[in-house]
Amino acid sequence: MAKTVLIVDDSESIREVVNFTLENEGYDVLVGVDGEDALKFLDGRTIDIVITDLHMPNLDGLGLIRKVREMEAYKHIPILFLTTESQASKKMEAKQAGATGWIIKPFVPAKLLSAITRVLR
Amino acid sequence: MIDKFKAKFVEESLDNINDLEEALFLLENDMNNREIIERIFRAMHSLKGGGAMFGFNHLSEFTHHLETVFDLIRNDKLAVDNDIISLTFEAIDQIKHLLQVGDVDDADEKAHQLAFIQRIEKVSNTGGVNTEAPKTQSAVAESKPAEEDGSKSFLIHIKPNDDILKNGTNPFYLLDDLHAMGSAQVLAFAKEVPGLDQFQPISNYCQWQVILNTSESVNEIKDVFIFVEDECEISIEPLNSSNILNNTNLKNLVDTAISEQKLITKAQLDSLEGSSSAEDNAPKDPRKRTQLKEHKISSMRVSSVKIDELVNLVSELVTIQAQLNLYAEKSGENDIVNLAENIQKLTRQLRDNAFEISLIPLQSELMRFQRLVRDLSKELDKEIDFVIEGGDIELDKNIIEHLTDPLLHIIRNSVDHGIEMPDERIKNGKSPKGTIIFKAYYSGASVIVKVIDDGKGIDPDFIREKAIKKGLIDNKTELSRKEVFDLVFLSGFSTKDQVSDVSGRGVGMDVVKKKIGEIRGEVSLDSEMGKGTTLTLELPMTLSIIDGLLVKVASNQYVIPIANIEKIHAIDDINFGSTFSHVITIDDNQYPYIDLRETFQEEAVSKGTEQLILVKFEDKKVGLLVDQVIGEYQTVVKALGRFLKKQENISGASIMGDGTISMVIDTNRLIHNNATNKYKK
Repeated sequence: MAKTVLIVDDSESIREVVNFTLENEGYDVLVGVDGEDALKFLDGRTIDIVITDLHMPNLDGLGLIRKVREMEAYKHIPILFLTTESQASKKMEAKQAGATGWIIKPFVPAKLLSAITRVLR
Repeated sequence: MIDKFKAKFVEESLDNINDLEEALFLLENDMNNREIIERIFRAMHSLKGGGAMFGFNHLSEFTHHLETVFDLIRNDKLAVDNDIISLTFEAIDQIKHLLQVGDVDDADEKAHQLAFIQRIEKVSNTGGVNTEAPKTQSAVAESKPAEEDGSKSFLIHIKPNDDILKNGTNPFYLLDDLHAMGSAQVLAFAKEVPGLDQFQPISNYCQWQVILNTSESVNEIKDVFIFVEDECEISIEPLNSSNILNNTNLKNLVDTAISEQKLITKAQLDSLEGSSSAEDNAPKDPRKRTQLKEHKISSMRVSSVKIDELVNLVSELVTIQAQLNLYAEKSGENDIVNLAENIQKLTRQLRDNAFEISLIPLQSELMRFQRLVRDLSKELDKEIDFVIEGGDIELDKNIIEHLTDPLLHIIRNSVDHGIEMPDERIKNGKSPKGTIIFKAYYSGASVIVKVIDDGKGIDPDFIREKAIKKGLIDNKTELSRKEVFDLVFLSGFSTKDQVSDVSGRGVGMDVVKKKIGEIRGEVSLDSEMGKGTTLTLELPMTLSIIDGLLVKVASNQYVIPIANIEKIHAIDDINFGSTFSHVITIDDNQYPYIDLRETFQEEAVSKGTEQLILVKFEDKKVGLLVDQVIGEYQTVVKALGRFLKKQENISGASIMGDGTISMVIDTNRLIHNNATNKYKK
């Protein structure tokens, strides 16, 4: 069965690139425009991995992770950050919030895909 | 693949820049507002990230420096001041420029960019905080394929803790990740794996060494381990050789190490001698699967061409549907009548929908006006508040497109000629700060846009004199106050004797009137000396569909826009005989009228009752005489072709249900032309 990926990014062009890359590989893709918007997908359905931006309006990536980790159903799903941010302190903060990994923009599609397959056990 | 999304990025960036500008205006008045600062930071961040992603590296680098400034601000290490805001405004212009030209290799451009970046860095350095070096440039380099020059070799040792498996980390994926960065030779050391009696499936007993050849930096390699740092012992040692994997003697060394289960050292590798041989780095084939796709997006972007096409198709449909109705009625068959009615219902909904889609809020253009007022008032040393009311009013996008230039001109006039210098204002008992109000609201089927300034106003006598001097009127002409102000819109009229740098660009108010006329709008001016000037635009909400009154003149049908109609009177021949010089008396009021049969050169065939349609013209009412009123008719207006473009009385044509064509009368121009013709006689 196809794995379901939830993409969260406030930039439409990034969303489309990620979406395109993943759908091409046969993933089912859900798209949220920010953290707040993404929460609507976390309604009990099966989501295999979340890929989120860090800086977003309404609810940012860190806020989203913290919320997701509070949910029983999604406590353990992998969450990857896809962001331009490369500061070590930010990464630590993300890790403490419960992030699984970190992909830096700009990314090449292959790198994104390998990061996903790596965490999808 | 990225190119496909480039256009989307540009479009999105324009939105981001717009948002950035808007937020910056807000920040100017509220310098400590955290929310606004976050918004600015986010917009910059998106530009930077997307820029690097989609091949706008100059833009990305430039924005990075700007973002650094706002990062300091949001972390309270730097305070917003006017200089920062002005610099940022200037920088936004540069970003716009970079978005337009892309990554050009031009010495002047580069020098300009560099100088600008230094100015920005000066600001961020006063914050006294060290910031990370620009990431984007190096990141771009990193995305190049590994066989590029500049690749290096590393010896990496990974020794995971016993319990690394417990929290779900699979060390193999780390190896995969390293391998993805270039070519790698992996050595596994498993001699610590105990016998089965002591073996714990959830414990790790292995360690690995990786000889990696990559063009990525040490930091990139470290990134692979960022989430397992405290669960592993990691060492990364750069090697002297630039590509040790091609060394023919490496295999022996590796084989020995594995069979003896002894770690390789950097010294061993560095002292390795031997020649290099090519090795294949065939990329892995990505697996392809096709599967059901699920999309959940709340709004989406559609090219305006597609929307135009939709509106066009819908208007065709409206026409065909009218034909169907006609046919159904004629046939008298109930089934077909029912069907036609249902289709009519759907067509209406479809039309309303398509119409709504093509509307965009005025807001989208307001930023440019705001910016104009800000920049111009700085340039002229004036203080001006720009107040916006009704930015959410929606108009057809074609109208908005036609509206921007005239409005820019009008606002430029207000700033340049309307608002006085601060000391002059104080002398006249006004506050030193002038105000320009931009106001939009619905009025029936039209939208009214007003630009109101509280400046010095325009002297009607001055306009009059000027018009006489220019030969537009002679000194005996009696004009009402309104007529005097209307002179401003005549071509060849410009009140400023000297061409100023700001508004004297050879575009007069006559051009404004012409442009607004092109979208069936009206423009008027009112002013009070010492108090200010108000420019009023009356615009239709849409260009393509109008509510019209279908009338008959001789044997031809015409459509008169209902928005302009005040009243319809039935006139008897007898009554009509008492008219004098095209003025008719109805209910004790006198109205000038135009006989459309005369206008369209039809023979006067009228007998019995005729219809006089009173339409609004400026602040007066003027009658249009027709033979017969057929009824109300919602109609799609099509532009007349090239050959009929000069036909002034007609604004377009409409196809009737039976396939015949009716002309849509532009009442304002018709009356205007008639009036001027009469003066000329």
